[in-house]
Amino acid sequence: MIHDSIIRTPLVTGDKTLHDVTTEICRPIENKPTTEWKVGFTLSAIFFGILALTLTLTMVIGIGTWGLNKTVQWGWDITNFVFWVGIGHAGTLISAILLLFRQKWRMSINRSAEAMTIFAVMCAAIFPLFHQGRLWVGMYWVLPLPNAFGSLWVNFHSPLLWDVFAISTYFSVSLVFWYLGLIPDIATVRDRAKTAGRKFWYNFFSMGWTGSVRTWNRYEVVSLVLAGISTPLVLSVHTIVSMDFATSVVPGWHTTIFPPYFVAGAIFSGFGMVLTLLVIARKVMNYQDYITIGHLEAMCKVVMLTGTMVGLAYITEFFVAAYSGVEYEQYAFINRATGPYWWAYWSMMTCNLIAPQVFWFKWARTTPWFIFMLSIVVNVGMWFERFVIIVTSLHREYLPSGWVMYSPTIMEIGIFLGTFGLFFTCFFLFAKFLPVINMSEVKSILKNRE
Amino acid sequence: MAKKQLYWKGEDELLRTKEFLASQKSEFNEPLPLDEVFSENNLGLSGNRRDFLKFFGFSVAAVSLAACNSTPVRNAVPYLVKPEEITPGVANYYNSTCGACSTGCGVTVKTREGRPIKVDGNVNSPVSGGGLCATGQASILSLYDTERLDSPAKVSGKAIAKTDWATVDGEIGKQLADIQAAGGRIAIISGTIHSPSSLAVINDFKTKFTNTSHITYDAVSYSGILLANRDSFGRQVIPSYKFDKANVIVSFGADFLGTWISPVEYMRAWSAKRKVEGASKIARTFVFESNLSLTGSNADYRFPMKSSFEAVYVTSLYNALAKKAGVAELPMAKSGELAGNAISKSADALWNEKGNSLVVSGSNDPKIQSVINGINIMLGNYGNTIDLDNYSNQFKGIDQDMAQFANDLNSGVYQAVIFWGANPVYSSPLASTIESALKKTRLSISFAGTADETALHCQYIAPDHHYLESWGDAEPKAGVFQLMQPTISPVFNTRQAQESLLTWAGLVTKPEKDPLANKGIYNQKASASPYYLYIKGKWAAMGVSGDEAFNKALHDGVHVAPSKASTIPAMGLVMSSLVSDLEKTVGKKEDIDLVLYQNVAVKDGSLSNNPWLQETPDPISKVTWDNYVSLPKALAESKGISMGDTVNITVGKITLKDMPVVVQPGQSNGTVGLAVGYGRKGKYGEKGEFDKIGQNAYPFLSMQNGTYNYVINGVKLEKASAKYELAQTQTHHTIEGRDIVRETVFEDYKQNPKSGNDKPAPHLYTLWETKEYKKEGAPNHHWAMAIDLNACTGCSACIVSCHIENNVPVVGRAEVRRRREMHWLRIDRYYTFENRKGTDYKAELFLERDFEGKKVTKETGLKAMDKIESENKNADYLHWENVKVVHQPMMCQHCGQAPCETVCPVLATTHSTEGLNQQTYNRCIGTKYCANNCPYKVRRFNWFRYNDSDRFDFHFNNDLGKMVINPDVTVRTRGVMEKCSMCVQSIQAGKIKAKRERRKLTDGEVKTACQRACPANAIVFGDVNDENSEVYKLFRNERSYRVLEELNTQTAVKYLLKVRDIDKKDLI
Repeated sequence: MIHDSIIRTPLVTGDKTLHDVTTEICRPIENKPTTEWKVGFTLSAIFFGILALTLTLTMVIGIGTWGLNKTVQWGWDITNFVFWVGIGHAGTLISAILLLFRQKWRMSINRSAEAMTIFAVMCAAIFPLFHQGRLWVGMYWVLPLPNAFGSLWVNFHSPLLWDVFAISTYFSVSLVFWYLGLIPDIATVRDRAKTAGRKFWYNFFSMGWTGSVRTWNRYEVVSLVLAGISTPLVLSVHTIVSMDFATSVVPGWHTTIFPPYFVAGAIFSGFGMVLTLLVIARKVMNYQDYITIGHLEAMCKVVMLTGTMVGLAYITEFFVAAYSGVEYEQYAFINRATGPYWWAYWSMMTCNLIAPQVFWFKWARTTPWFIFMLSIVVNVGMWFERFVIIVTSLHREYLPSGWVMYSPTIMEIGIFLGTFGLFFTCFFLFAKFLPVINMSEVKSILKNRE
Repeated sequence: MAKKQLYWKGEDELLRTKEFLASQKSEFNEPLPLDEVFSENNLGLSGNRRDFLKFFGFSVAAVSLAACNSTPVRNAVPYLVKPEEITPGVANYYNSTCGACSTGCGVTVKTREGRPIKVDGNVNSPVSGGGLCATGQASILSLYDTERLDSPAKVSGKAIAKTDWATVDGEIGKQLADIQAAGGRIAIISGTIHSPSSLAVINDFKTKFTNTSHITYDAVSYSGILLANRDSFGRQVIPSYKFDKANVIVSFGADFLGTWISPVEYMRAWSAKRKVEGASKIARTFVFESNLSLTGSNADYRFPMKSSFEAVYVTSLYNALAKKAGVAELPMAKSGELAGNAISKSADALWNEKGNSLVVSGSNDPKIQSVINGINIMLGNYGNTIDLDNYSNQFKGIDQDMAQFANDLNSGVYQAVIFWGANPVYSSPLASTIESALKKTRLSISFAGTADETALHCQYIAPDHHYLESWGDAEPKAGVFQLMQPTISPVFNTRQAQESLLTWAGLVTKPEKDPLANKGIYNQKASASPYYLYIKGKWAAMGVSGDEAFNKALHDGVHVAPSKASTIPAMGLVMSSLVSDLEKTVGKKEDIDLVLYQNVAVKDGSLSNNPWLQETPDPISKVTWDNYVSLPKALAESKGISMGDTVNITVGKITLKDMPVVVQPGQSNGTVGLAVGYGRKGKYGEKGEFDKIGQNAYPFLSMQNGTYNYVINGVKLEKASAKYELAQTQTHHTIEGRDIVRETVFEDYKQNPKSGNDKPAPHLYTLWETKEYKKEGAPNHHWAMAIDLNACTGCSACIVSCHIENNVPVVGRAEVRRRREMHWLRIDRYYTFENRKGTDYKAELFLERDFEGKKVTKETGLKAMDKIESENKNADYLHWENVKVVHQPMMCQHCGQAPCETVCPVLATTHSTEGLNQQTYNRCIGTKYCANNCPYKVRRFNWFRYNDSDRFDFHFNNDLGKMVINPDVTVRTRGVMEKCSMCVQSIQAGKIKAKRERRKLTDGEVKTACQRACPANAIVFGDVNDENSEVYKLFRNERSYRVLEELNTQTAVKYLLKVRDIDKKDLI
């Protein structure tokens, strides 16, 4: 049932037929890799190598190779963790919440957004794992596993434990949801495959998809169920990440505004990253007809809205600090704006609150290169937001005797850049081996289905 | 009975053929192929029995010979024959005397399985009184120093050739005999020796070698006091100062709480006098000084002074008092008064407390010290606060003697020289003279345990035992006799210096060679040191005769003879005769003073390769691992110098290049400070962290009025191009107006004991269940600690004690720079600046609350003042000169509602039923959230593997250094969090002991390491469930408060607020 108005801009332009969709979206999978792909993949792989190297060194020598100290014991590691988890938000939001809200425009972008989610969560998971002093035991001691150590059990008071559950649930649900959506498309690729190897592997991963009415029916039902499960996760994951901070006594962390503020920030940064990727992908892969200006515009509106929301949160924090009468709280916020890390604070304010306001203008929302620039600004701003929250709160806490400065070492910078390597390596592999756009869903919104 | 079933192995057996029956006769079916085995065809061995025996014999012999190679003996199996007094796992304690410096504090040494692991003050000792300074605490590590010489050695050039005692004794004995025969002179250069037996040894040596002179040399000299007392009263001694009897104390640059003469003794006395409970007077302390010293930081009134003008201020004080006393004033050309009417104020205070006051000076100038004597005579302090009859023996060196010696040695007067506990090639300003003269000297011997600078220029090194391996005695103060006893059999092939001297003098017969000596088996009879017998003899002569009396003295560590009545001496000096000499000491106003001082931990530098001391932050600047030039702000601004810069500092022809600087609040304008005791060379620092620790400031010393002068007027400073980052443990210095350290003035306290501590209680909320420690039927303890900020001086002895007790790793300069020092206990130090000019600086946003009257505790306020000052042409930055200091020991507060406990995902940090916040290292995975969530920032993370790592080459990575590890405390691995445990191992030990003896633990039985070390008794640990305990009473003291109480952390540590004895009108 399609209720689209005739005068509304179509969600897919170019007057595509069903066959066009299949051939065009399968093209990168079936053709030899392009030079752009090769270059991009090689670069990403190099950075991935840097990640492997820096993580190995960290494990062998110790976290002492990072710039952390007795006062600032979380720095770039947790900043990057929250940054990547935030990015991972857009995927589920687009696939789950927009599905429930019947936002058809999401169909062209949900596949790549979900892929982005999964890769971002993978990048994010590296940080809480490797920032542990003893990863080799920490990896499983945080799980409530039965053990032979007597009464040893995990601490359900600890937000870090909630994190373990939240992130792992989020990752597994996102992965299942993404994979489920892929099954009909993998089957399409299988049916078009010409070599035995491709036939075998795509057959294997399509799990015997036949395309019968019954399978489609079950597919739709499971999609809806998973969308239902994912929807609270969109809110819960970043809520719980925010509680890593909000349940503490650290001035600047100890605020009740954190859950909504973090969720808004996560959606903001997630859409920022989706924009960054898709503005390039639609150009490079020639998918302008599927990911139209209309899509970009819709996402820009979300960015502007959520950017303003986080901006409001920033200002509210100041008000609450002033209103609370707690001198430590007040100092923490004055220190953010005027202390030694003022540049981080004002980068954050500029990038997150001020810059997205340009999307009030239609031109700004509809000019891909400008959107790309802005999406980078949003990403930078959101990284700074986490840096500001974590480092500037910690570096000057209650007792001035412990006040310090923190700066990252080459190792932390290497790990951060390395996670981009991991992210893009995965993304390039995804673009090469799997359909970047959900063919089966896009077909349902074509005007011309003859 | 059933018929026995038979089974046949084959038909042959059934049929019982002939062949079968034949084969049954031999054991083996076929003949053994022995011939084949021994035939030439096979192994090439000729096969007969005799050859077999030959091979067999050869093999046995070869194996036996191979087994003769001595395999290293590893004494992993404890005690084949268990010594009576040692039970593995149970510590033994021995009383002894500290050998870290010549102050001679009595100590109690804790040993485990025969190795000393901790040194604390001996409560019986009148010198230490149970406390011990940072240096003394750390001196135990020098016993396990890999740089110690492991045998006697001959030095030629830079090479050290190890040899044995017989060779050394033979060669030295012959040379000494030759010198004696030729009528040559011998010099023994030693640090101050107050050991009666050692002095007797020297006398015995002199009877054999009649031309021997004994010259006492102290690296940091107190000649000024000695000579002044000689001039004034005809007694060349340092008197006993009774700080506990003085209601008013005036100190001119004497850091009596930090480094001056006998700081542990003085601190204990001073802090006892500072007790406010029930007191009508506490020792009001006035300090005049240039560098901000530990004493200055604890003074009620601290007056920044230009030290080269000390003579002027001292005579001004004399004259002010003389006016009151009606005595003739000193006709000094200059007279001076300092800001805040310092002189008249202190003169008034002193005069009001005539007879109960004390004036001391840190100057080494005998003339200034004579005026000080004059002042004390005028005030009638002798006989009460100053005791010349029960004097101190702690320092006896006279600078002129050493200078004379250097010249004599150079001109060939001495044919032989013996250095004993003296290292003049490093610490004497005449080092180069001595160094070159040593090359010409016929025989030179050093008793140094390590190849120090002087030893490297001697021909022989006859290494002395470490004091923990030695027998000895001491008389630090007249009539106070202490014993020193070995607590471990010698680690290396060293020998006591006294024994060496007696051996060379032919006065000791060598004990029989102990056949088991190298097997690690202790044989008491064979090991009885000849010097032990010597001491026993001397003590018998002293009146401690018989085994019982001697053993009691040995057990107590102390034998105190009845003290003499303290008399009032007559001043034998015409005061006015001093004036011309005094005027010579006064510097030029426009020239900069260099004021040399000793760091509280490193002191004179003799233990400067001790990592525990180097890692102990200076109590004021919080700098570790370096010495530095401390500059006043005004001078730094005028030269464009700031933190991180370096300067070239020149006196005469000597320049120290690229010295790092600290812009030091409290440093007097026109002066700079520099610590001696750094820049050691010698064998130290071949690699690693010890490569370069500061620079040597001793060469700057120069003679003035016959003594070395530690204040040098006319130093030149220029900014150098190099940059240098000092490793500081605290880099933010103001308290930001926060309610962390509370204080009041004595005047108010007497009116209202709750003054300064009367903030309304905050509303407290908690999510969690409040913990109960006192349950019916369960006699639980609730451990708690009270820290009296009024007693704590910030001396840092507790830091080192905690470091040792709890196996806290040393991390080194680079890691301290990264702010990763591991100290479980630190001392926070905050400055309060005084806005003396009264300017209103409400210029900037948010600054309204930066000024509380004249008090500036916020960085923004300080910067605002600096900014206005920098626009002033004649900026003097008086607010930087006039600072108030607070010290606050900070360790895990053992919160009842601990923020760290709720955030750990794996329950690695939990609460005990006795109120302790426990860290389970085994369970820790290192998320570090606990440290982030700790409001007190006391949690320390193991960023690296600090033990067994080449990166941390201190003492944790070699077998010798590891011997100091406390076996009761886990050595933490990489990646886990650690923190103060309130010495839970001591609590457990105490509980077990009480349980075994079927009694309750008594109050004061369990003491934490910090508490044991504290000379000021500022730390009290105990059970607040026990209503008779001291800590229970202190928790209910009006002065007690919790830091950050509003967070409802319900800490088990309470602080008692600081009381300053300042007139309210002078309060900032």
